[in-house]
Formats: sequence, structure tokens, C-alpha cells
Amino acid sequence: MSITTLRGRVGVTLPAGLTRHLGLLTVLLVIGAVTAVNSPAFLTGTNLLNVSQQVAVTAVLAAGLTLLMTAGGIDFSLGSIAAVTSGVVAQLISSGVDGWTAALAGVAVGAAIGLVNGSVVTFFRVAPFVATLATSTVLGGVALLIIDGQSVSIGDHLEVLGFGEVLGAVPALVVLASLVCLAAGLIMRWTAFGRNAFAIGGNENAARLAGIPVARTKLLLYTLSGLLAGLGGVMLVSRLGAASPGTGGLQLELTVVAAVVIGGTALHGGSGTVVGTVLGVILLGVVANALNLLQVDAHYQDVAVGGVLLVAAITNHLRGRDRGTTR
Amino acid sequence: MPDNAVPVLELRGVGKTFGGARALTDVDFTLAAGEVHAVVGLNGAGKSTLVETMCGALVPDGGTVHIDGRHTALTPRRAHAAGVRIVHQRRSLVPGLTIAENLLLGRLPTRFGVVDWRRAHRTAADALADLGIEIATDRTAAGLAPAERTLVEIAREAHLGGRVLVLDEPTASLGAADAARVHRLVRALRSRGTGVVYISHDLDEILGLADRITVLRDGRRIVTVAAADVDLPALVRAMVGDRLTHEADTRDPRPDPTRTHDAQDSDVGGSGGRARMAGEPVLELRGLSAGRLRGFDLKVHSGEITAVLGPIGDGQSELFPLLSGLRRAGAGQIRVDGRDVPSGDVGAALAAGLRCVTGDRLAHGLVPGLTVDENLDLVRRGLRRPWLVRWRRMRERGRAARDRYGVTAVHANPPVAALSGGNQQKTLLAAWLGTDMTACLLEEPTGGVDVAAKADIHRIVGGLAASGAAVLLASGDVDEVVGLADRVVVVRAGRTVADRPIDQVTRDELVALTAGGRAT
Repeated sequence: MSITTLRGRVGVTLPAGLTRHLGLLTVLLVIGAVTAVNSPAFLTGTNLLNVSQQVAVTAVLAAGLTLLMTAGGIDFSLGSIAAVTSGVVAQLISSGVDGWTAALAGVAVGAAIGLVNGSVVTFFRVAPFVATLATSTVLGGVALLIIDGQSVSIGDHLEVLGFGEVLGAVPALVVLASLVCLAAGLIMRWTAFGRNAFAIGGNENAARLAGIPVARTKLLLYTLSGLLAGLGGVMLVSRLGAASPGTGGLQLELTVVAAVVIGGTALHGGSGTVVGTVLGVILLGVVANALNLLQVDAHYQDVAVGGVLLVAAITNHLRGRDRGTTR
Repeated sequence: MPDNAVPVLELRGVGKTFGGARALTDVDFTLAAGEVHAVVGLNGAGKSTLVETMCGALVPDGGTVHIDGRHTALTPRRAHAAGVRIVHQRRSLVPGLTIAENLLLGRLPTRFGVVDWRRAHRTAADALADLGIEIATDRTAAGLAPAERTLVEIAREAHLGGRVLVLDEPTASLGAADAARVHRLVRALRSRGTGVVYISHDLDEILGLADRITVLRDGRRIVTVAAADVDLPALVRAMVGDRLTHEADTRDPRPDPTRTHDAQDSDVGGSGGRARMAGEPVLELRGLSAGRLRGFDLKVHSGEITAVLGPIGDGQSELFPLLSGLRRAGAGQIRVDGRDVPSGDVGAALAAGLRCVTGDRLAHGLVPGLTVDENLDLVRRGLRRPWLVRWRRMRERGRAARDRYGVTAVHANPPVAALSGGNQQKTLLAAWLGTDMTACLLEEPTGGVDVAAKADIHRIVGGLAASGAAVLLASGDVDEVVGLADRVVVVRAGRTVADRPIDQVTRDELVALTAGGRAT
């Protein structure tokens, strides 16, 4: 079961990007295999497309959070930002604004909230955990206020996004989520901004002394995660056709954080990959789907997600200790 | 000197080796009740190892530890129970708690399970008054002056039943009046029959306070003498030894830093010899005040290595935060090439061509989780602010820098955390000094590295100056300064007490100057 021994035996010949997530990949395949054996419905195209659509929103939020957490930050308000933006978009559309304009406005609102989070953390030096927990609570209430506690329908606006298909088969939401994850991966690998996130998360003092614009990078990171959360909100409302109480919020937030942690991003910053995060998102989606198909009591879902998260967190800690970078 | 009784603490023939390096060799040490026994020696002489052996934190490879004449396999818990207690240089009071709570930590008096505050404060006040300390017990530790914290901490260990107190530099970073308060407390403890092991770099203090003095050098006990029978020059001679004059026939494997510095040909910018020519003043500090520094003036010329030497934690350690822009100066100016560098601005300092290399590489210098090559690229990236990262070019530059600075590892480009201390230090220097610069500050550049890496680093720093950079060295290590610098400025309590070319001052004089003696 140990990932390190697994890496030691097999890892030499595989590319580094893959070996790092070998454990996660194995778990994913095992769960997939077990489910496929027990439920013939699992490996059908319809079901897999369904799963991919369900995880698309989580993936978009998780991509932003991966960057942020790599830089040592955290944002607990992403789910609430998604809830607020879906409400804003729905209200704008129902008051006669064009669907795409409303969507743009929603994304902008998300970015603006992210900027506020970033300013509180960067300039007032509030611990990001506390600051974003506070904004999360505020935004949870604001989201309900915006839609007045009722479902607000958007009719057939944004149908292209919510139900459209690219090449006649792939849902537009999945394409969008893939593009976002690809972009996030490229940013983390090839841009100075992305690499600076690693340096800041790894040692903020050293990064500052090396002349890296720490404050600006952090602000930008919070804004970016807010923007992606806003995009997630737009995706949610386009798929559900309405903004309703209980959309997004804490449940979504916790799934996102869990996915990023399962994907191997260090909670204390300094390391993380989008590939891992995507695997984490898919794993959580597959687990939920498998429990559904196997007709396990729905209450076990939370137990399963929590269990996976706990195992992943322990594995990450042990791996960090192996490399001597826990300090 | 009461040496007829059974000593409360005795070490016989204690030795300790760390990975091949001998930290202690066959050291004897006795402490009688009611005695102040000082241990002195240069950095790396083995003082800390000796102290940790006494407290059971280290198990010696050879020799025995006796408490009250009984031989014990000492563990920290047993040492504690036997009344051997240490007061570390790093203070360990809980800042948010009151003095009474700190004194009685873990053993507050209770009645029916509720803390009896009245009794707690009375007990604490009695304990303090007993030792002649006047501090209100309801103040919080955070509000105490540094000297008061030291006093409370010593009082706590004494109150908790310490019969042997090990005081590790209790007066470091204290002024004269505050140090006198600590001395009074030590004398009060002695008169009550407590045995005190006293570690200090301040020889004047030790001569005035101690009953006996043990001198350590290179892990060996050189001599143990009654304080009344020795003077400052004799102590300095015993600490420094005859290393410099009899280098050839000693078993000491440590190379003479001056010699390696001259003899090895340098890979970094030409010859690293002493024939450097000092040029224009490039880095100027005028009336700089912050922390312990008071109105500090200094000119560092191009092509010259100027050292600021002081006791550990003194004025020289303020230079890094000030020059790097981490902290704003209270007063004064920093000028590079005749232009003012705004204080408290990291970007401005870098842009002015000033490179500050920290003495604490893992806290302020390197990102341990990232690879060597990426660490080497950090300062460049901070300066040039590119949009994209070119991995191939970064690796090429990294490989060249690794070769030039002699960073070696099993894998070519591992995470910095996997490197040895010496290689980390070389990576640090390469990262900060690799970009164009006019002046640099090096803080303890050979701190915590092995002998071979030390020689490499000396060569690198010598090469820097030879290539025309103004090099400022901040150090608390006399050996390092003697081995590297062309000129030395000695600071004590934040003020300059001497400024000489290195060839007009002897090593002994420097030791005496930093250790508190008067310049001769």
C-alpha cells in the first residue's frame, strides 16, 4: 500500500509527472474496476459523460485553488463565490440582461470578491483561513439575499454552455473545464507568475528577498481563484437552469479543497500539480457515482469522501517527511 | 574553592564524535556545590556539546557522568530529576502568562481542583524575594525587559529544585547594568550552595564572577584554573592556542584559512590572493541606527573585503535586515555608488546592485522544496521580472553555476533540501552573487559547513573581491574574519570599538576585543 515503495520499484522508468501520482491513479483504477464488475452501467458512455459533467464545476474551482495553495494560501469562500455569482447571473437574466453579458458580469463579480479576499490577506495580514472563512459566511448570506431565498430561473439562456456539445459528443462544460485546467497547468509550469507561486509557498522570506513581487503575486492569485469560482458559478447556473438556495456554497467548497489535497498539493504550500488535482476531482466524482450505482445508502457518501481525504492527507504528510521538506 | 567535598556534578574522560568529527575528546569536569565554574572557548570549541552532555541531551561515546558521586546513564529526564537544570540562551518563558504562572508552570497550587491564585502569587513572590529579585508576579512575561526575563528564568529553575544550574550565555545581548543584575543573582545562588556552570564569551565578566575557569579548545580541555590565578591575556592565549604558529606539526586537520585562501587558484574571477587592491568606496553607511546599532558609519571599498566583527547577536547581525531592505533604519543612510538606497525596500536594494546573503540559509535564502537550478534563478527572476520561464536556459545557467561554485550532489539537480549544509551554502552564494552586482553583504558565510566547504567558500569570496566587488562580511567568528577579511571593524554593544587593516591586528587581539577586553 505504501506509495514510496511502489515508486521505488516501478518509478524509475516512468516520467516524473506520472510517478508522483501513481498511488492516486492506482486507487482510481481499482475503484473503477470494482464498480465496473459490480455494475454494468458504470462503463457506459452515458454514465461517464454524466460523471465528467458533474465534476466539471469542481475542476474549475480546484484549478484555481491549486495555484493558490501552492503559494501557501487558502480560500474557503470559493463555493460561496460560485453561489453568489450564480445568483447574480440569474437575477440579471431575469431582469432582461443578455445571457452572455450576465455571464461576464458574474465572472467579474467573482474576480472582484477574490481581490477583496487577497487584499485582506495581503495588506492586513489576516490568516487566510480566518479571512476567507469570514467572507465565506458573509457571501453565503449574500447569495440567499440576492435570490431572495427562492429559485430564480434563467429560462433557455446560456443553454449553449449548459447543454451544448462540442463535436456532437463532448459536453461544453467539460471542454471549458479541460481548457481551464490545461491553462492552469501551463501557468504553473511555464510562467514566472506560476513559478513565483511555488517560491512564495516554499519560503516567502527568501522569495521576498530575491525581489519577487510577493504581495502582487498573492493578490493576483486570490483574484484568479475568485475569477474561476465566478466562472464555476456561471457553469452551475447554466446547467441547472436556475439559481436556487443551496447551490454551491460550503458543500462545493469542501469538495474542492478535498480534491486539491487528495491531488497532493501541500497544505503549507510549495508544491502542487494540476494533474494531481484533476485526478483528485475525478476520484471524488467516481466515488460518488460508484456509491450511487452500487445503491449504497446516500449517507455513506460523506463518509467515503471524508475517508478518502483523510487517507490522502496522511499519505501526503508521509511523502513530505520522506523528502525532508515538512519544515 | 570547596573542592574537598564530593562534587555535585562530575564528568570523567567524556568524548563525543559527530559523524567523524570529534566534538569532545577526553574532557574532565567537576562542579562543587556553591561554586561558579565557567567554561570558555572559541566557537566550535565544544562548549555546547559539553553542556548538552551534562544535561543528558547527548549521550557521550566515552567517559562517565556522575551526579553526587553516583555514576548515571544520564537522560534529560534523569538529569532534571537529579536537579541539573539548564537555562538556554533562547528564552523559554510563555509570553502571555504571568510571572507567577511561569514560575509555577505545571504545578500551580490548587484547592478542590481550582487554582489557588492567592497562594500561587505568594509562593512566586517568596521565591523571587528569596533571590533578591524585585518583579511583580502579576506582570506577564511578554512585558518584561530582556534582563528580567533572564532573571525570572534562572529563578524558576532554582525554585524548581535546581542544585546544578547551567547558564548558557545569560548576559549575551544585555547591557552592563542588566548584566550586573544577573551577576548578583548568580552570586546569591552560589551563597545558597547551588553549583553554577557559567558559559559566556565575555571574559571580563567571567574573571569577575567565576571561582574556576575551564578552557576548551578543539574539543579538549586545555586547562582548569582558579579565576584568581589567571588574567585576560593568559585566558585568550589558552583559548586561541598555538595553532597559528605550529600549524605543521599539530594533529588538527583543520587547514589554516589564510593559507588555503592564498594557495588555491580561484575559479571565480581570477586569483583570490591577498594582493587585492582596494578601490573607490562603493558601499557607504552613514549614521545607521536600528536595533542594537547606534550611529554606525562604514565605508566599504571595491576590491576589498571589510569585516564587521562582534559578539554573537551584536551590531553586525543588524546589518542583514537593514541592508537587504527587510527593515527600515531608525536613522542614517545607505549609499551604493554614491546614490542613496531607500531603507526598507528590498527591490531598491537589489536594483542598486546590493546583494545581501543571509546567514540563515533555510529561513531567508533558499526555497528547500525547489531544485538547485530554480533556486539559482530566483534572484535573476526577481530582478528581470520575465513573463515566462525558459527551463532549458535555466538548467544551462544552473549547470554552469553549479560547476563554478562547486555544488556537488548525487543527482545533478536535486531539491535544495536534499543537499548537505556546505552545498546549500554554496548554492545560496551562487544564487545571490551570480547576477551583476556592485556590493554584497555576506552574513556568516561559513556558518555550519564542514572544513572542505569552508575552504571552497573562502576561495569564492576571495574571488569576488578580486573581481572588483565591495564585500562586506558580518560575522561573530574571529577565525572566519582572520581568514577572509582585508580590514576588520569590531563592534560591541552596537558601537565601533576598533577599525584596522587585518595585518595590523593579531587574532588574539580580535578575540580579546570581541570578548570584552580592552584593545592592547
